[in-house]
Amino acid sequence: MSNTTELIRLERIKKSYNSVEVLHGVDLTVNAGEVVALLGENGAGKSTLVKILAGDISPTEGVIKINGTELSELDVYQARELGIRMIFQELNDAPSLTVAENIFLGQWPTSGGRVAWKELKEKAKAVLDRLEVDIPLDVEAGSLRVGERQLLEIARALIQNAKILVLDEPSAALSNVEVERLFKVMDQLKAQGVGMVYITHRLDEVNRVADRVQVLRDGNSVLNEGAKNVSREELVTAMLGHAAAQNSRPVVSKGTTRALEVKNLSDGEVYKNISFDVNQGEVVCLFGKIGSGTSEILESIFGLRGITSGDITINGDKFQPKSPQDSTSKKIGYLPADRQRLGSFAIRSVAENLSVASWARMAKAGFIRKMDEEAAYGTWAEALSISARRGPSQEIATLSGGNQQKVLLGRWFEAKVNVLLLVEPTRGVDVGARRDIYEIIRKQAKETNMAVLVATSDYEEVVLLADRALVVSRGEISAEFTDDLVQANKLIAASS
Amino acid sequence: MVKLRAGSKVQGSEDDSKKRRKIPDTAPLVAVLILMMVYFTFASEYFFQVENFKNILANAAVTGIVCIPSTFLIIAGQIDLSVGSAAAVSGMMLAQVVNAHGVPLGLLAVLVFGLAFGCFNGFIVTVIGVNALITTLGGLGFLYGVALLIGNGQTVGMNNFEWLGTAQPLNIPLPIVIFAVLAIIGAITLRFTKFGRSIYAIGSNPNAARVVGIRSNRVIFQTFILSAVASAFAGAVLTSQLSAGSPNSGLGLELQVVTAIVLGGASLAGGRGSIFGTVLGLLIVGILNNGLILMDVPTFWQRIAQGLMLILAVSFDSIRAKLNNTRS
Repeated sequence: MSNTTELIRLERIKKSYNSVEVLHGVDLTVNAGEVVALLGENGAGKSTLVKILAGDISPTEGVIKINGTELSELDVYQARELGIRMIFQELNDAPSLTVAENIFLGQWPTSGGRVAWKELKEKAKAVLDRLEVDIPLDVEAGSLRVGERQLLEIARALIQNAKILVLDEPSAALSNVEVERLFKVMDQLKAQGVGMVYITHRLDEVNRVADRVQVLRDGNSVLNEGAKNVSREELVTAMLGHAAAQNSRPVVSKGTTRALEVKNLSDGEVYKNISFDVNQGEVVCLFGKIGSGTSEILESIFGLRGITSGDITINGDKFQPKSPQDSTSKKIGYLPADRQRLGSFAIRSVAENLSVASWARMAKAGFIRKMDEEAAYGTWAEALSISARRGPSQEIATLSGGNQQKVLLGRWFEAKVNVLLLVEPTRGVDVGARRDIYEIIRKQAKETNMAVLVATSDYEEVVLLADRALVVSRGEISAEFTDDLVQANKLIAASS
Repeated sequence: MVKLRAGSKVQGSEDDSKKRRKIPDTAPLVAVLILMMVYFTFASEYFFQVENFKNILANAAVTGIVCIPSTFLIIAGQIDLSVGSAAAVSGMMLAQVVNAHGVPLGLLAVLVFGLAFGCFNGFIVTVIGVNALITTLGGLGFLYGVALLIGNGQTVGMNNFEWLGTAQPLNIPLPIVIFAVLAIIGAITLRFTKFGRSIYAIGSNPNAARVVGIRSNRVIFQTFILSAVASAFAGAVLTSQLSAGSPNSGLGLELQVVTAIVLGGASLAGGRGSIFGTVLGLLIVGILNNGLILMDVPTFWQRIAQGLMLILAVSFDSIRAKLNNTRS
């Protein structure tokens, strides 16, 4: 392979936001026909670095060289001109348009003011052939699988003459087969001299697809090696550093009475053959990278997502949830990851948001007293240190993300549920408040004999919160850790 | 259990004094209402008279009866445009049945029609999943046809049932009394019952409402039934007032209803609104109409004023939403 042509070189890049430096002098080089895997935990600086590469933001210090020439400045338009293209995990297509139209989205070839359909289809066919993928041109993009739609985005980038592709965790939402198909396409592009930066959380992919691997930690480049020369352990250590080992574990207690039992659960799509149980008063974490299936398992238990086989048992009774109403009436609570869409009633007060799941209990002869709602809010505002400056009648949308999350958590505590399902419970919560939340979840669980099941992609959360941890990898449980064996490096190694 | 103390001190409650001094959302409406009354008082000597106010309220009452459940629907993020035609069909049915079989069966027919049509709307919206705007726009169209069909395109006179529309217990027209009672029940339901609170939750975020176990479809279904029954009843009151069922009696009712509700501060996006606001909106629309009539402004100008008022009210709603977005 020829890796002599240097496409892009970033040198000693520093970036500060409001005088807080998030990148401390990072180098990044991409050669023609080379795949660089970029690794690092959340907040390590990966996104900042690739945003600089795409011209979205400009570095505070450092040098950008494209094809050997130094640039004083790189903006979005220049970056596009130079053939730098980003592929995100979220799709940016028009689902109701055809495959061919999507490949040319917004840049349809015209003749005399009308779209030149024949030319469009020929060129679309040519670019799909170049990627060696076989997708019919006339079907709606929305009818394709996620992986295929992602390939369309790559095809679109190629039509626009991409020379450097930045792929931001494209594999997170894909099945194994689709991931392999993506890698084949990347092999094709490599052979054609396209340089790629591949961001991933999955360590096993590094060896398969990358030529070189670079690891960022806390805004520094801590490892930059040929992909064949590093072991998985070396990568984990580079990503975590030594700090991660120092989180102390809570005192574990597992309880004896079984509250929730899941047996051979499959949804026919994301996860399969999931079996585990949670005792009363026990906190069990399902740990897995985003897309591994942890959140989908919780959705199914709550009745938001259908299952194709398997059994769920709550307190000894078979439970077949058809809708969330079935679950809430069985005293199961659910905290969604998507707070805006599924969690908060944005324009309603914090008191109302907190007591909405307890209305049935609060109602006296059908009437709900505002006083009772405010008292409930008062209790949990104190216990969870929720700060709403204007008190119980303040609209929840005007609170910080962390405070909103606490209100939604308090909602289920107030509802006195027996089983609480939490998806990414501290996403968007500042670090200081997280430990309080862990402590209070554990305390609630122990004191009220509530079974808590958490789906999370944050290993630190697992270490601090769980009595027991199950690792989910690509839709299957790959490991179980108890007691002091719940350790960050073990979790990450098992989840990758 | 974490220490529970009912009514324990809420963080930030030191700001409570400030909160109490907060100007209520309905304050601008009250101001507009007062300004209009002052203006019309000077513009026409007939305006500030007890009889005239009775007149305004009696006219507003029929619209108001429909406004109560319609306010529920709009807060839940739904809408019912079929109210006018439903009132017309109900009125025509009442006239025909009362003439042939007497008053009790006539009222029963009105009730059955209201329940049936409400179920129809509720079914199409919650089970089939068609959006409420289109469903009830269709209802507006086809029920107008049904109203014409019942009387063969003609007005049908009705005998011996004037009291519902014209009785004046304690010298107050009965429709006003009925409306006042319904408004109070509506306001209490909306603010203090699980049903009413669920309506706000559904309108504010239907997905989250599902997650917390609110039976959204059932609540919306029930609200459509309330709306249709109220429309049917309003049609009966109108027919009783006129001693005749007219297929055109409900024309434009939906426009007045939506204008009053949106003017009263309800958001078409759902989650916001109140019965008190709706009553204020209703009074503003009613006084504007009355004032224009007293000033001898031709009726087509009243139509123009009413249409523009709706657009104005909805624009305020949108501007408020934008301001809120930029603030947070």
